[in-house]
Amino acid sequence: MAPRWKWKGAEAKALGEPISKSVSELQLALAKTESLGSLSSCNVLLAVDTEQAELIDRCCFGRLVLSADKVKKWIQLTFEEAFFLLYNLKCIKISLPGRYLEDEVADTWLYMKSKRPNFPMFFKAYSHLRSKNWVLRSGLQYGVDFVAYRHHPSLVHSEYSVLVQSSDSDRLRVWSDIHCAVRLSGSVAKTLLTLYVNGNFKEEDLNLPVCLEKYTVEEQTISRWSPELSREDDTKISKPTVSHLKTV
Amino acid sequence: MAPRWKWKGAEAKAFAEPISNTVSELQSSLSQTEASGFLSSCNVLLSVEPEQAELLDRCCFGRPVVCAEKNKRWIQLTFEEAFFLFYKLKCIDKISLQSCYLENEVDLWRSMRSFKPNFAMFYKAYSHLRSKNWIVRSGLQYGVDFVVYRHHPSLVHSEYAVIVQSIGEYNRLRVWSDIHCSVRLTGSVAKTLLVLYINGKVNTENMNLPLCLDDYTVEEQTIRRWSPELSREDETRT
Repeated sequence: MAPRWKWKGAEAKALGEPISKSVSELQLALAKTESLGSLSSCNVLLAVDTEQAELIDRCCFGRLVLSADKVKKWIQLTFEEAFFLLYNLKCIKISLPGRYLEDEVADTWLYMKSKRPNFPMFFKAYSHLRSKNWVLRSGLQYGVDFVAYRHHPSLVHSEYSVLVQSSDSDRLRVWSDIHCAVRLSGSVAKTLLTLYVNGNFKEEDLNLPVCLEKYTVEEQTISRWSPELSREDDTKISKPTVSHLKTV
Repeated sequence: MAPRWKWKGAEAKAFAEPISNTVSELQSSLSQTEASGFLSSCNVLLSVEPEQAELLDRCCFGRPVVCAEKNKRWIQLTFEEAFFLFYKLKCIDKISLQSCYLENEVDLWRSMRSFKPNFAMFYKAYSHLRSKNWIVRSGLQYGVDFVVYRHHPSLVHSEYAVIVQSIGEYNRLRVWSDIHCSVRLTGSVAKTLLVLYINGKVNTENMNLPLCLDDYTVEEQTIRRWSPELSREDETRT
């Protein structure tokens, strides 16, 4: 499916300001002031100045928290977003209130893993797509783990609804779930994408984020195959404009 | 949600011909001719007279199979439908598997269970709903196990999308994303999500006998989104 840009000129704007460029700017801006994120059991709160907040919004990391603070802006980041800024972009620091983190990266990893056992594979999937400059957000309202945007959500609709899978997944175990996910994804004009994260999840080296190097990610889209739209002859029926059917 | 009748007069027609009546007619008609079926690894084929085919259609059991035979009609039944007709309504005389007849319910039960491991819980759910005169059909296209109709599908839209779960053996709704997925899809097709939890000794020796069905209980639970705006108590409601 072709990307659905939200307004005339959106595509040109996106082409003029690639996400990769905004991310580099963000990286520099945050590293300069040694921005510190405060870790809690479910998210990370990051204090930033106005320009940094604008850059974070441009790259679509986190959500702005309403506050009375006149000087600082507060951004709420998911574990995946925060760890990506910490580990991949290396532009923030993390503190855990009440605890001293000896090795910030390793300790943050262990803490996040302890709060969410599936964090390693979710983070692998998140960083896999983010590293390719896809913008990722929660997919919960669409019944999936993430939704992926080609550029900023104000410019384009998300194209993929993403489910993170491993050998003992909780989704797509039976046909009814597969049909459910494919149908819902199609009804919101997205393609269902499963990311199989392969690796040894039960070993001790899971305690270090370097274990991420050992994981592989296999991408697989699932869409309905329509015989009518997949015929080879020239007298093809033209595709309906709003359709959840896709030729494979 | 109120039932969505498909055309003006459909509700009146449904009132005049309750499903329970039609099922009784079907029962006596099939018993008279000693109908017999053929079991395969995924369904049961039943050979019937044209009038019986019409009754089966009115009660919504199975689907007619296109064939060239003039005097007989062939109906394809799911395991649940066939077992219900055989065991509950007692209007199918015998069912044969390959070349031998399965005359008692125990053999039929075991055969179906060998082909479909979760047959027991699906059948319990199916008969639970059918016994209350709901019409039950496959819900696969809606991402669920069954959809249930208040009356014939030609008169009314289905109201509930049913997921069958066995206590201790969950394959759906294990995580929030699946719950949101199911509730959203169900809502988009104007149905309410209904989960049937089947409790019972699912894995003991008794499983080999359909009598074990009496040991099971079925717990019904609907799952819907709660909307604050629509749930306020004051009079000035939107």
